[in-house]
Amino acid sequence: MADELTAILTQFGIPNEIFLAIIVIVLLVVGAVVVIIVSRPVLDIYPYLLPNAKIRARKGRLFDTKEFSEIIEADDHKEITNYLRGFPDYAKHLDDHSIEKSLDIQLGETYELLSKIAPDDVGKVFTVLSKKSDIANIKSLIASIEANLSKDETIDLLIPVGSLYPTCEQLVDSNTIEDIVAGLDGTEYSSILEDALREYNENGMILPLESALDKYFLENLLSASSVPSDDNIRILHSYIGLQVDVANLKVIIRSKVDGLKYDSISPHIISNGYQIKEWKLKDLMESENVTSIVNGLEGTDYSSVLNEALGTYNETGSASVFEKALDEYIVTYATSLSLKNPLGIGPIIGYINKKEKEIKNLKIIVRAKRENNLEIADIQEMLI
Amino acid sequence: MVEIALGTALAAIGAGVAIGFAGLGSGLGQGIAAAGSVGAVAEDNDMFARGIIFTALPETQAIYGFLIAILLLVFSGLLGGGKGLDVTSGLVAVGVGASIGFAGLGSGMGQGIAAASSVGAVVEDNDMFARGIIFTALPETQAIYGFLIAILLMVFGGILG
Repeated sequence: MADELTAILTQFGIPNEIFLAIIVIVLLVVGAVVVIIVSRPVLDIYPYLLPNAKIRARKGRLFDTKEFSEIIEADDHKEITNYLRGFPDYAKHLDDHSIEKSLDIQLGETYELLSKIAPDDVGKVFTVLSKKSDIANIKSLIASIEANLSKDETIDLLIPVGSLYPTCEQLVDSNTIEDIVAGLDGTEYSSILEDALREYNENGMILPLESALDKYFLENLLSASSVPSDDNIRILHSYIGLQVDVANLKVIIRSKVDGLKYDSISPHIISNGYQIKEWKLKDLMESENVTSIVNGLEGTDYSSVLNEALGTYNETGSASVFEKALDEYIVTYATSLSLKNPLGIGPIIGYINKKEKEIKNLKIIVRAKRENNLEIADIQEMLI
Repeated sequence: MVEIALGTALAAIGAGVAIGFAGLGSGLGQGIAAAGSVGAVAEDNDMFARGIIFTALPETQAIYGFLIAILLLVFSGLLGGGKGLDVTSGLVAVGVGASIGFAGLGSGMGQGIAAASSVGAVVEDNDMFARGIIFTALPETQAIYGFLIAILLMVFGGILG
């Protein structure tokens, strides 16, 4: 064969050096194609490796079922506080703050951590999410004016997390809501609150101010993930979109239970939801009652969730059954999303979802122990 | 300038392909595993030893490529001063290099991804260590196939023996 090959090369007048060069070039081209093909998935995975390892370590520190049972079985909220002192994530704030505030700080710090370690393609979403503490602090300032709280009581309500905290701390001396809005001049919240301030001045209710902040937050969150450039953003967008839809549904259902009409509800709604678009939202807001709302959701994921809760609502008349059903649906949906892209955004969504659930449930247990001293079975019923 | 036979020159290309691509796969795989391990160690210092184990696993592909490259260099006469290879054996040597090179590339990357995932699973739940090692070891088989075929090609292609 060697002779044949040499003969062919000689026949075509190809010197050995040229033949070698051809072999090298062919191998380089094949190698380059192979490297490009195999490196694409690696490039998608690579930015998530470090954040995911950090997140999964924290996920491993979340309470399991046995630990939650021990917390529920505590005699009072002081015993829960002592129990949480055994966990470094919670213990670091418990000496300086109440248990509820420590939980809020922990959640705020979690959002801040995510905004720092999230890969660039989803970083904007987590930056917006980290502003949840700022929004909560502004709401606390507004609520403290409404409730005539003292400076110390107001400071106690603030969560010492987020870039706006120093500003909020200075605003605890404010005497009116106008002072707070003026104090926020130069921040992104100033113009949002100025619009809602007119409504507050007309009817004296702080609800429009709180609603404007919530709406601004969720709209920003949705738009931060609205360009579905890859699978990770698409998955994150569906998670955020679900939260927007659920927020809209909660407002509409609560308003209908209170007998409110379209004009009173629409200012508090995020006009372009995820699954429930503008025209559908209009239909729902114009519905006669809660049953019509549930029927109007036919064809969406929320229909079966709310239909199951409808029976209990008809017995109790309380809108909280729908809210609990929707909260549980968010948990289920987020769990399924967290398994979709295990080397991408999946673990991050799974962690946020589980962390938020843990904090919500801890707050429910603490409140139940402090204020109502409820039976264990009743507390378990209230948990998400 | 040293005169090198065409067959020997082809064997040199084969050696380059063997360690080049196997090393690329191994390097990418280890980089992926290391990135996951660093994140785990940052959260939990006890993860250092286990992180090192998972990060070391994709090293084997580079070792296979290195071994095959050394064998090609020795038996083609480039190292050790033996007689050079003819063109046919030289072409076989390119196949030898491609066999372990490309198999090592895929295997190394796959193992790295599995290792990074396993580190994440172990840092979340300590009991996942043994199962993580088993899952991470699975993509090793492709490199072993490539290594075996490379050895067989060398034996029956007239390079070894």
